[in-house]
Amino acid sequence: MNTNKNSYIITYASIMVVVVASVLSLTALALKPRQDANKLNETRLSILSSLGATDENYEDFITEVDLDAEHKLFQAVDGRVVIPVSGSGLWGPIWGYVALEKDMDTVAGVVMDHTGETPGLGAEIATQKHWSQYVGKKVFKEGEFVGVTLRKGGATPANIDHEVDAISGGTKTSDGVTAMLKHSLQPYLPYLVSHGAASSEPRGGACLGGAAPAAAENIESVRIHE
Amino acid sequence: MNKNLRYLTGPFSKENPVIVQILGICSALAVTVQLKPAVVMALSVAVVTGFSSLIMSVLRKGVPSRIRIIVQLVVIATMVILVDQFLKAFVYDVSKQLSVYVGLIITNCIVMGRVEAFALANKPWASFLDGVGNGFGYGIILVITAFVRELTGSGTLYGYRIIPESWYEHGYANNGLMLFPPMALIIVGCIIWAHRSWNKELQEK
Repeated sequence: MNTNKNSYIITYASIMVVVVASVLSLTALALKPRQDANKLNETRLSILSSLGATDENYEDFITEVDLDAEHKLFQAVDGRVVIPVSGSGLWGPIWGYVALEKDMDTVAGVVMDHTGETPGLGAEIATQKHWSQYVGKKVFKEGEFVGVTLRKGGATPANIDHEVDAISGGTKTSDGVTAMLKHSLQPYLPYLVSHGAASSEPRGGACLGGAAPAAAENIESVRIHE
Repeated sequence: MNKNLRYLTGPFSKENPVIVQILGICSALAVTVQLKPAVVMALSVAVVTGFSSLIMSVLRKGVPSRIRIIVQLVVIATMVILVDQFLKAFVYDVSKQLSVYVGLIITNCIVMGRVEAFALANKPWASFLDGVGNGFGYGIILVITAFVRELTGSGTLYGYRIIPESWYEHGYANNGLMLFPPMALIIVGCIIWAHRSWNKELQEK
């Protein structure tokens, strides 16, 4: 058979495209539930581990609170809250979860992850060693929101409550984390202020109204990174 | 049978795709900072080269030669997407580690090089062995390079700490340069050097 006739080439290409398209879409459809479950599971695990509560059951421990269409936070039964944060590092997106104590000021824990920061340098933001520095830091300084800053050369004693050591060799990524913590927490300030130590309002009040128990789709949507 | 075995083991040393054919260098620089992604990358590439060679070899008689490169690309891209989907569904941690590199398998010259140079002219079983052999040949170099880079650059192997903390207290420091891509090139160069002085027949006159 002459395989170089135009009609043969066109038929061959058309059949190939249809076959490949069906194989790929069938696989994607068949595996999607498993992949989504993996992603959801990871999100939930991140939220729990920022609270240092990985052995708790997510459904029982966390309630999702909708602040507005774009901003959600996750409230633990013990009154602490977890706020999703996202920003950009040196090479790509970085994201994480920041857990705050009941006073809405002290950091209870963080987890962070990234897509492509340099291993051994910027990628250190995804290590336990780096996360542990944030515990006990305060995001408010004398009533003013300052976030947590990653200071090149080490946290300064004067600002020890609001600074952690930057990663040596990972300055750009560290700056990205500082900016992420500042910008992503900004929209939550009204909530933090009204629910913070200054406010005597009982926890989990009005804001909880209407928030359905963490639905799978909702949690998924807070993950900016895809 | 003996000949088939040679297709599989040849690429491990004397016909190694990386250090003899100098293919697939680019991805070898990217994924060798740590051992774990290097190992997974090696396995994924072996699967993709093996099965793309197999499929192209089965199709070889009917492929119109004028569009054969496009057909090869479609087959390879399909294999890569399938591997990526399976990794995401069954070993999510690993797929996160590899992130963008899985997609990069498509651009790995070894895959297309073997399809074009071998699979289009040989029987399916031989092509499959040749593909798998080349995938592992590539993997061997990846793993050696990653071993050196992770040990000297981070003091760990496969994520576990090897250099004891006490060394650091006495002034030992990780070699940060090892974490950058140019060092992979230098290490691969050293491997080529050692390999050629061992195999004299590979030396150019």
